[in-house]
Formats: sequence, C-alpha cells, structure tokens
Amino acid sequence: MTPATSTAPAKPTTKSAATARPGGYAGNLLRVDLTRRTCRAEPWSPETMRELIGGVGLGAMILYRETATRDGKGNVSWDHPDNRLVLATGPLAGLPVWGTGGLTVCTIGAGTNGPTSTQANGFFGTNLKYCGYDAIIVQGQSKDWLYLYINDDVVELRDARSLVGLDTWETQGALYKETGLAGHQLSVYSIGPAGENLVRFAAIQGDYGHVASKNGCGAVMGKKRLKAVAIVKGTKSLRAADPRGVVQAADEIAHDLRTDASARSLYEYGTLPGVVNLSKMGALPIKNYTTNLTSNVAGADLSVWEAPKLRENFDHRGHQCNACGMHHCHMSVIRHGDQKGKIVDEPEYEGWSGCGWAIGAADRDSVAWLNTECDRACVDVNEWGWLCGWVMECQEKGYITREQLGFELKWGDVKGAHRLLQMVSRREGFGNVLAEGVKRAAEKLGGPAKECAIYIEKGATPRGHDHRSRWEEMLDTCTSSTATMETGNPVHPTEIGQPARINPFDGEQVAKYVAGLRGRRSFEDSLGICIFTSRTRLEHVCRALSAATGWAFTVDEALRFGKRTAVINRATALRCGHTGAMEYPSTRYGSTPVDGPAKGQAIRAQWEKMLDTWYSEVGFDRKTGKPLPKTLKDLGLDWLSKSLWGNKA
Amino acid sequence: MSVLKLHPEKCTGCLRCELACSYMQTGEYQPAKSVIRVSPFEGHTSYAPYTCPQCAEGWCMTACPVGAITINAVGAKDVLDDKCVGCKLCTIACPYGTMFYDPATRKAFKCNLCGGAPACAEACPTAAITYEDVATADWLGDFAVERTARVLAEAR
Ligand code: SF4
Ligand code: SF4
Ligand code: SF4
Repeated sequence: MTPATSTAPAKPTTKSAATARPGGYAGNLLRVDLTRRTCRAEPWSPETMRELIGGVGLGAMILYRETATRDGKGNVSWDHPDNRLVLATGPLAGLPVWGTGGLTVCTIGAGTNGPTSTQANGFFGTNLKYCGYDAIIVQGQSKDWLYLYINDDVVELRDARSLVGLDTWETQGALYKETGLAGHQLSVYSIGPAGENLVRFAAIQGDYGHVASKNGCGAVMGKKRLKAVAIVKGTKSLRAADPRGVVQAADEIAHDLRTDASARSLYEYGTLPGVVNLSKMGALPIKNYTTNLTSNVAGADLSVWEAPKLRENFDHRGHQCNACGMHHCHMSVIRHGDQKGKIVDEPEYEGWSGCGWAIGAADRDSVAWLNTECDRACVDVNEWGWLCGWVMECQEKGYITREQLGFELKWGDVKGAHRLLQMVSRREGFGNVLAEGVKRAAEKLGGPAKECAIYIEKGATPRGHDHRSRWEEMLDTCTSSTATMETGNPVHPTEIGQPARINPFDGEQVAKYVAGLRGRRSFEDSLGICIFTSRTRLEHVCRALSAATGWAFTVDEALRFGKRTAVINRATALRCGHTGAMEYPSTRYGSTPVDGPAKGQAIRAQWEKMLDTWYSEVGFDRKTGKPLPKTLKDLGLDWLSKSLWGNKA
Repeated sequence: MSVLKLHPEKCTGCLRCELACSYMQTGEYQPAKSVIRVSPFEGHTSYAPYTCPQCAEGWCMTACPVGAITINAVGAKDVLDDKCVGCKLCTIACPYGTMFYDPATRKAFKCNLCGGAPACAEACPTAAITYEDVATADWLGDFAVERTARVLAEAR
C-alpha cells in the first residue's frame, strides 16, 4: 500500500465512531486487496462522512491520499498495482428518492493517466448499501482473473476464469446462473473483452445498460484482473434521520421533474429528444465534425428521430433504476431489419450520436444494436464515435488504407463498424493501434490523419456533442481534471446567482459562466443520485440530503463542497503530470464549423482569452495550473497549500 | 370495499414500492422486510409486483392454530403480534407465498393494507399498484377469469 502523504489529513477510517452514524449511511468502506486477496470492512467516522459525503467527494480524497508514488513526489500510473479503483455510492443511495442506485467510479484512468470521476446507475449503490458498505476500494493486482462477490458479510474473491472472454451481458447472465438469482436481486458491474484487453477507453458496464464510461476505468479493472463485482441485494437496513422529510423532499423533486419545463422532456423521454434539439443548435456531431447538416447523412430523415417516434420504433418497457419514476431507461426489442428480435438497451442520446450520427449512420434499428454491442464489449460509446468516425473519414481521404485496416469502412456502415469494434476490443490487427484511443492512434499516424481527430490534449475525448457550438462544454472538458465535463451544463443557474442565459459565442461570458457554475456537479456526484433525477433546484437536493443524514446542508455549503472536491482532483491531476499546456482541443475538435447553425463561429480565436478568464475566476495560477494559496484557504484546504506551493504558501 | 390492484405491465422494476412498504411496516428502508415483492421475469427484461391479494378463502387465517390472524377494519387479513406463536403454519398454507416470517421477532407478517393508506400504491411512480374501490374483493379471481378468456380467445 502507498503510504499517506505527509500533507494529507488523517485517514478517515481511524477515528472511532464517537458520534452516532448519520442516517443514510451503511457505515463501512470495503477494502479489497487483489494482490493479497483480502477483503476487509473499514468503518468510517461521522466526521469524515460529513467532510467527504461519498461518491466523488470520497473517491477524490482516496486518490489524493493513496495514489502518490512511494517517494511522495509523483503519482502512480493507471496500470500500477497501487492505483485505486474506488466504486463509491453515497448517502442517498437506497433511499426512496428517485434515481438513487448510484455508482461513482474514481481511479487513475487509462485515458489521461489522471483522475477520473464517472457515474452509472442501476442497483449497484442500493445493493451495496443493503450489504452494509458505502464504497469499495480496490487495490493491488491479481495474477488470475477474479470476481468480487458480496452478500452481506460474506465477501469473497472468486475464480473468474470461466467468465473471461464473455461480454458484459453474458457475464451478468452467467453470474445469475451461478448464484441462482435474477433481476435486481444481483447487481453486476463488469468488463467485457475491451476491458480485459486494456483498451484505453474501456468502460465498466452494469445491470444491462448502465455504464461508467469515462477515462478507461474498465482498463483499470482489466489490469487488476477483476472481471466483475456482483452484489446481492443485502438484508441490512438503512435509516434516515428524518424519514418523512426524505419522502417529502423526494416528492418535491419528483414534482419538479414532472412539471418544470426544463426537466419535463427528460422526464417523459429521457435523453432521446437530444438528437433533434441539438441538431437545431448545430451541436449534434455529424460525420466526425465534418458537417452539421443532417441532410449530409445518407438516408437520414430527421422527422423519425423525434423522441416519441424514436421510442415507439421499438417494443419497449421501462427499466428504471432504484426508486426512479423517470420514463428514461428502457429495454427495447428491435422490430425490423437484420437484428429483428434482439433485446437492446434503449440508447441514450449519446448512443444515438456515437453509434449513429458521428459515424454517418441513421438507421435507428442498427444504431440501437451497435450501441448495445458497445456496452457489451464495454467500450465508451462517445470515444467510440470519435474513433470510428475518424477511421471512416481517414479511409475516405486515403489516410488509412484498406490494407492497413484490413477492409473498407465507409460512412454509415454499421456492420463494418461492428467489425471494427470487435477488432478494437480484442486488439486484433489495426485494432491494436486504435485500442489506444483517438489521441494516441492519431499521434501514431500523424500528418493529415491527426488533423481530423477529435480529442483533448490530456488524452480524453469529449462527450457526444459538437462542442463547437457548445463552448461551455469544450472549455469544461479541456480544463477538467477528471477526463470529462467537471462542471456540467447549467441547471437552474439563477438559483446560484448565475445568469439564466448567456451569449454562447462570447468567450468571456462563456468562461465566466463555466467558472461560476462550478461545484454543483461534484456535489451531486457525491450523493449516490442520478444526474437526471437531480435536475431540480439544488435546494431540494440539499433538503433530501439533510433529511437523510440529519445535517443542515445548505446550497452554499454544497457548492463549496463541490469546488473543494474539484480542487482535490486537480491536485492529484497535477501530481500525475497534467499541465496547463494540455488544456487544448485538438485541431479538429477546436475547428470552426463549415455549415449549419454555428457556421463560422471560431472558438480557437478566443481560446487563450477564455482560459485566462476561467483561470482568474476559479482562482488558479495560469502558468502552473495550481489552485492559488488564497483559493485553497477559502475552501478550507490549507493543508494542500504546503504540498502544492511548498514554503511559498 | 377497496383493494390493491396490481398492473404488472406498467411495472418498471424500480422497487420503490418495496422501500415504501418496508419503511411503513418497520420504520427502516430494507426491501427484505417489505411484504410486497417485485420479481423479475424473462431474465431481466420485465418485472411485476406481488403482494397478498387478501384472498376470499383466507387460507392463512384458517390454518392459524391460535387465531392470531384477523380481518382488520379495511378488510385486510392481519397478524396479531401478541397472539402469533411463530409456528409458520400460515406461511405454508398461503398459496400465494405472501405470508412471511421474521426470525428476529419470531412472528409471521403480511400485508395489512397499511390500515387503508397503502404506502406502495402511493410510492409507485407508474401506477402499477393502485388502491381502488371494487364491487367484489376478489380482484384476483376477476383477473384470472379475464386473462383465461383472453388467452383462450388468442389461442383460437
Ligand atoms: S433517470 Fe434514468 S438513469 Fe437516472 S435513475 Fe432514472 S432510470 Fe436511472
Ligand atoms: S398495502 Fe402496505 S403492507 Fe400491503 S404491500 Fe402495500 S405497503 Fe406493504
Ligand atoms: S414501485 Fe411500481 S414500478 Fe416500481 S417496482 Fe413497484 S410496482 Fe413496479
């Protein structure tokens, strides 16, 4: 184990539970050492719960404290046994607030070789907490494939050799069989072939369609040779400090989601409306950012992409996460075409974009199929879109030859894309180069091929939008310490003193906005709640947390907590070698749209200025990327000053 | 007369009913302590809630050797804790598997319709559980008749 650095606060686990455990918590962290093959419950103190809450709040601190190199000067890399894979839930998980099955994965990821915060839902958090644990901390590396089985106090590392090679859905099916359980009685999060083969953008998939997708967290799991985590719906009870208050806050949130104009379509159709809505803003990524006109996709008819038509194109049934009343997640059955009769997870907007528009495909049935194939292989569907679209463009332009790839891959060829997916997730042939992710593959090819690749210099890729018309998201993605948007889009911004609307192409306003919205997302991602079901007034979310735990949690405290968490992740990122020089979009990512609604809007012309503004607003040093001593002090992180600034602090 | 009606086709498997029931019945959140259970079907693609249908025959009541099961004010069969001796005969007698036994308290327990304000129906976001006024309390019988007629018609 890595010793704690001298500047970090004391281990959260050593303090005794002198005060009563706050409601909503199971009370233990589960530490799993794959090298030693040990599993141990560590109680954590009420003070630490209050300080770190859970989710990314807890995960960020564990990474900071436990992933330094032994000399304390650098950080271990993603594939080092000392890397941690934190699978954390939060105090709201398992309570009757909508969408509280939450999982947050924190690790040093294979994409940026820096910190990660990526979320998924389903029943992970619920089942884990009913077994008596708030989070799992995985460390070490196993020689043989194992899976982690948790059933209340029975925690075992079991032989997973028979699961190797299975995709994520097959793995869950095999574990159902092995345990004699089904449905939500057993929550399974696993990796498929892409994770086993250390694909740099491998994800962790669970409960049929929920994916913690960012920064190659699946590759970390693969490197540790942990095939799956299988959690029985345990039998331990959760209490709330004010149970009636929890139900009231839950009702309030549900009412807001059902009736508020900004959440209503999400309530009705999940993220499906994204396709048509974003296409109107020029934010639907089409053919690897070469166009913003849907008419440039062969056979595309946008009218059948309206949310109701998209859903009704399939036989479908709700497949919600714990206690969730959104009409969001669905299981669908394909009705037409080659894949008729196949069960798929209804794609999210990002699936429709990554497996569809970004690669020039608009046949809904085959796109839905490819999306589930990505989940089954455990490939991040966003990076998949940028990778596959890039290969298609490069073939069209002759930058990647037929001989190199082994076959011809044209825009919109879903079957060919599927073939590529198999090559990448098994690292076969040219797939081995592509498995390194867009950035590394593009750098390997260099020349004009590199110019068409969409990535961030840190090694990550954006979410499934065309950020050339969503400047906040590009800035957020590039400045993030956690490989994907750290601040997120505005949710009721006026509640926290931010404008309701800004000019989206005014770099100065954009940078101020992104800085001003900081905090909320990291707070939410610490609670064990879904980002969609927390799309309500922050005040309601705080009320739910207060009722659950018995703390009086205010909106101000929530924002401060979120900012503090982001700063801790930044400190780890700096230790990982991330610098300000990496906070740039690749040539194509930061290019100017040639057509569509955002035609001619050039973000690159304003980029430097945007960075300047963002840095000064968040209180970081532009040269070194470090949070300034004053910023640290204001956030109550004086202890970080010493390690970041040495004596100067 | 009001009964709990279950509409399995609407259920999304979110398990909110189980949570609400356990809270109402025990004050804690723990689905294993609820008396409504949501079961997966077809592997994992569909779910359906199930609880005591308050059957007309009242098998549990008939089986109880000490008369610990009565019919409460809202028409639900209810276990009287101070009378129950924990012999589990009712759990064997119940043909629906909706009579449970708690080893901690050594008592049988079941759905008591929350005294007329069913927490599960209130909690269900999709109205897969409703509390409705009906002409006969035997909704399960009605459901069986309707379903049998439909299945036979389809088979023809
Ligand atoms: S909104 Fe969707 S992902 Fe979120 S909790 Fe509900 S069903 Fe799950
Ligand atoms: S009516 Fe009450 S006791 Fe019966 S299943 Fe519903 S919540 Fe449980
Ligand atoms: S609350 Fe309703 S939708 Fe959710 S599992 Fe229970 S019956 Fe099904």
